[in-house]
Amino acid sequence: MPDAAGQWVIVPNAREGFGARAREVWHYRRVLLFFSLKSLQSLYSKTHLGVWWIFIRTLVPLLVGSFVFGTVMNISSGGVPYLVFFLTAQIPWNCFDGPLVSGSRGLEINRQLLVKLYIPRIILPVAGLTRGAVEPVIVALVLLGSLVYYRVTDGTWYVRPEPQFLAGLASVALSLAFALSLTLWTSVWQARGRDTKFVLRYVVGFWVFFTPVIYPLSQVPPDLRWLMHLNPMTAPVETFKWAVLPGMEHSWSWFLYSMAVTGVIFLGGVWYFTRSESATMDKI
Amino acid sequence: MTARWEVSSRYPGAVDTMTEVWQHRRLLRFVGDRALRKMYRRTVLGWLWLFINPLFPVALRALIFGGLLGVGSDGLPYFLFLIAGTVVWEVFSTSMTWGTRALEMNRDLSGQVYHPRAILPVGNMTPSLLNMALKVGVFVLALAYYTVRDGRVYLRGDWALLVAVGALALALLFAMALSFFTSILGENTRDMRFALGGIMSVWYLLTPVLYPLSQVPAEYRGWILFNPLAVIVETFKWALFGVGEFYGAAFATTTAGVLLLLFAGLIYFTRREARVVAER
Repeated sequence: MPDAAGQWVIVPNAREGFGARAREVWHYRRVLLFFSLKSLQSLYSKTHLGVWWIFIRTLVPLLVGSFVFGTVMNISSGGVPYLVFFLTAQIPWNCFDGPLVSGSRGLEINRQLLVKLYIPRIILPVAGLTRGAVEPVIVALVLLGSLVYYRVTDGTWYVRPEPQFLAGLASVALSLAFALSLTLWTSVWQARGRDTKFVLRYVVGFWVFFTPVIYPLSQVPPDLRWLMHLNPMTAPVETFKWAVLPGMEHSWSWFLYSMAVTGVIFLGGVWYFTRSESATMDKI
Repeated sequence: MTARWEVSSRYPGAVDTMTEVWQHRRLLRFVGDRALRKMYRRTVLGWLWLFINPLFPVALRALIFGGLLGVGSDGLPYFLFLIAGTVVWEVFSTSMTWGTRALEMNRDLSGQVYHPRAILPVGNMTPSLLNMALKVGVFVLALAYYTVRDGRVYLRGDWALLVAVGALALALLFAMALSFFTSILGENTRDMRFALGGIMSVWYLLTPVLYPLSQVPAEYRGWILFNPLAVIVETFKWALFGVGEFYGAAFATTTAGVLLLLFAGLIYFTRREARVVAER
């Protein structure tokens, strides 16, 4: 606007605090919805099998993995059939790895769009998460099916419907939140260099081995368990297993630790994402 | 004598295609060079990836599956067992990945000059050969280390070593044969590449790399042998260390099958290449 001397001054919109950001995202919520739907569609569009493709892609690796780890390698599963154990642990894990990978691509795949119009960029990685969140839902359905199967063959329900179930919801939420916090960092890196894609694939591929997903935590020597717990994904996975399956153990204090780590990474992520936004936009 | 050009609509057979590829073999180096250059382009770490690639995953897997979960390894040190299997598996899987992308990656080239297209999937596999060479290096180091540490010669080192080389070559040929199909299919539908990732990770689990075939319950062992890669990997380890069993009949069948598939792949490729290149 013209100042007293009648000259025009261009003032940068410097309100980039957390509250202002959150309000802006809320303001653009329809765009968020649009990108979420778009990322969902990309799961199966242009494939011949369509929606069925998602099921096959989720189901086959689970069944094969359960056979190899449970039957061939004979990994213990704490008293329940290995398939049930495996599927249960997959749910919180899939709430983490799928969203992390798909969210990290958020900025990169919408490059074309970003240089053409303004939207709060933070929307893109957040919308990308949606795509990854489909898989745990399918796994849960498969788990339900397997429970019915074992009810028929073994005559018992392996899942107990108790108030602990709520803790399961909390761990799933924590896994998602942790994925989101990391995405705020990784999506920026991925928009800048191709390395991130490789590194991420590597890291996530190995992270699963350092999280008690294919094996129970009890398999780890007791004096090394604290080391496993330093991994923020260990607590949500363990708590989820404890909430759903009988005879499992977990610790709330490590759960709180994971929450704290997630909180720090999230706040740092918001700060980092905002700060590097304009620099990144110049580079892509 | 004037040159005579014959214009015909007849498809060349598999043998003709192979002859033509051989005549243009100098192009193989060119295509391979291109693939190598593309490998880690636009990455910050660049060529360092070449060294991270063979070492890091194998070491971590050995730690988890051998150390923590105590998966068997036919009496060998688990790391040695794992890297031997990984050499064969990776030469197959990496060749598949690169071979499948061959037509798509060399679009610009195919649009400009004539060359036998069959050269592309073959030449594009060069990065996997480089990977393999590095892994073999790691394997030799590990072998030396364990031999000195345990005072025991793990390598059997007789004529069977030739079988091991044969098994490795067979894995490569198998990847080549499949690439003739997948590169054509991948050019039409882009999701071939994405599907391939999923297929490969499941295939990996069904191949005795992380575990010995002897650990598979007897009632399933016969089924695993339907997987050509399982036969190749087992034969490779048997030929190197003398562990496990030599499934002679299965290996012969696999060899015959791979050669047949290679032949079929070449025919399929030559029938489709023109259309695929034209339809872009």
